Amino acid sequence: MNDIAIAKAGAADGYENSRLADWVPIHFDLRDTWFPVAFSADIGTQAVRRIVHAQAYYLWRDRGRIRAAEFRPDQLEELRRSATAFTGGTGHYPVTERYGYVWAWYGNPDNADPALIPSIPFLPVDGSNIPRYTQRTVRFDAASPLSVENLIDLTHADFLHAKAIGDGRSESDIVEVQSTSETVTRTRIVTRKSVAPVMRWIGGVRAKYQDLRAVLHVHLRNNLAISYPSFSPGYAIPNVQPFVPVGRHRSRVDQTNYTVAAPAPFRWLMPRISYVIQPQDNAVLRPQNERYFDADRRRDLSSRFDAPGNRYRLVMRRLAERQRRGDFSYAADGDPSVDISAVLGMDG
Amino acid sequence: MAEGQWWAVALTEAVSSEKPLPVVCEGEELVLFRNAAGQAFALEDRCPHRRVPLSPGVLTPGGLQCPYHGWTFDGASGVCREIPNLHADERVPARHAAKAFLVAEADGFIHVWRGSGAPTGVLPSAAYRPAGREYSGSAVVNMAHCNYLETMLDGPECLLAFPCVTITDFFLGEPRRDDKHLVLDHGGVWKGKGIGPAFVRDHPLVLRTRVPLVGGAIFVELLTAAEVPLVTIFIASTANRRGTTSLNWRGFRHAHKIPSAPLAWQLRRAAGRAPFEVLAEVKGASIAALRVAPSLNLTSRTRHEAECRNPR
Ligand code: FES
Ligand SMILES: [Fe+2]
Repeated sequence: MNDIAIAKAGAADGYENSRLADWVPIHFDLRDTWFPVAFSADIGTQAVRRIVHAQAYYLWRDRGRIRAAEFRPDQLEELRRSATAFTGGTGHYPVTERYGYVWAWYGNPDNADPALIPSIPFLPVDGSNIPRYTQRTVRFDAASPLSVENLIDLTHADFLHAKAIGDGRSESDIVEVQSTSETVTRTRIVTRKSVAPVMRWIGGVRAKYQDLRAVLHVHLRNNLAISYPSFSPGYAIPNVQPFVPVGRHRSRVDQTNYTVAAPAPFRWLMPRISYVIQPQDNAVLRPQNERYFDADRRRDLSSRFDAPGNRYRLVMRRLAERQRRGDFSYAADGDPSVDISAVLGMDG
Repeated sequence: MAEGQWWAVALTEAVSSEKPLPVVCEGEELVLFRNAAGQAFALEDRCPHRRVPLSPGVLTPGGLQCPYHGWTFDGASGVCREIPNLHADERVPARHAAKAFLVAEADGFIHVWRGSGAPTGVLPSAAYRPAGREYSGSAVVNMAHCNYLETMLDGPECLLAFPCVTITDFFLGEPRRDDKHLVLDHGGVWKGKGIGPAFVRDHPLVLRTRVPLVGGAIFVELLTAAEVPLVTIFIASTANRRGTTSLNWRGFRHAHKIPSAPLAWQLRRAAGRAPFEVLAEVKGASIAALRVAPSLNLTSRTRHEAECRNPR
């Protein structure tokens, strides 16, 4: 018999079952929405392929006019017979341009109404004069809703990204969450937080402390995140992050960090911070993804900091449930085109 | 159905208080670490908050801190001791816990108890009694666990190498049942001595493999025909993901001087070179070509293991 030391283990195996269904992000495939599938500036006469869920979108310009189709332009005639309901059998998706993006419709083409394109109040509607340095493409290695959840989640920023964007130390930190049938809005008000390293070293903010008011507004159907963080002393760094689902396990984000009002060189360097932050997020998202494939007997445990993320899970499930019943309409509280400048706190 | 089982999942020296070690045991992902006092712990490598692996986290005086939001888990109980940014008067609910495993450390191995039953005191490594310098290692081999165990009976020469020794594919009898193992002898010859394995009258060497009927403890001995042990190896095996197998082993050369051994064997011994090799890369073609023979006796075990259902 061996002389063994046995460490005592607790009975931590059984978690209680929640009343709610488990969160299974790969199941979301919400229809009837506009996806910003490309930067307008990236599309020329050569067709490029983008993907939304399982649908291929070939994008090109035909005598200046934007086109989106299920097939390559040279194969369009030949393959049109196999066109899907997403294009009403024509092979052509509804497509339009706004805010420097190409927006393509995902869903029943009869319902495609440009009035359903979300409002982004800080970007020029016609996309003119959006500098290229504000536009970056990054990729997230998980189901889109998991990546959106990561963005909504504030406490990980203080922890996983502390080196880049500063620790969470502040005098007071208030987080609020609001939702409609189509959106989640998270507002964070921080007073006297230590200035983030990037702002101090390249942003020219010499003060020791600054106040922050950050609003994140997420559209549920197309995973479009519109964010307006405003620092004082400092400036606002409005940004758009559309998590376009490229299949069920990856997303592509053509982000616009609209730093035009910030001083140089911060204005040019800040958009590149995604290249630092995004691999840190992917390090947790990549292994997380497969652990949400099936409903788990063990529900995720939460702290009060998870309220915004848990609200997102709840309203996503509600919307998906409504679509399962065949209702793809937008409710009165969920008009995507409504002006959100006040919600974002742009005037304040 | 067995209630539970001890598994040797890591070498003692691989588990530290500086950096958590991820391991896989029977397909389940675990993380191993020590506290400052050196006590070893095992948790499921899955944070109960948002399911990310805990193994890239950091070790703090309070336990293992998750890399995502910094929840800290106690090694022994798995209980969450700290959530960053909570006010001093806020308490973490007691049910906030990661799954913890019983750990036993002995014979140079970290063992974990998997299963519902009360642990029994006999550890897989109990029969391994090293004497003299040890040679140890770890690998993940590109074979399913049940196939690895079968091959250890049908063709151990595909999985192990002994410098200066040729292991033949001639089985010396039938596998014998010895408690929880099947034991089988293979004939062996010294390389470069005599006229070659095909014409030898009696094999001067014996390779004895003990393959477990439950659990993953494999014992290997190289003996002379007179049963004088030359080399002893304990290989702890377990199923890793995607049909691979994790191995952790320790072995040693016995002190006896063998006058009949070739000069090369004596020289390697004098130089302190390893007397055996557990192959980390197996040759697919050799494994595939191996005919089923003594592993027939193992089918009672392998019938239960899904990976083995593919046709031979
Ligand atoms: S996932 Fe581990 S602390 Fe959040
Ligand atoms: Fe992040």
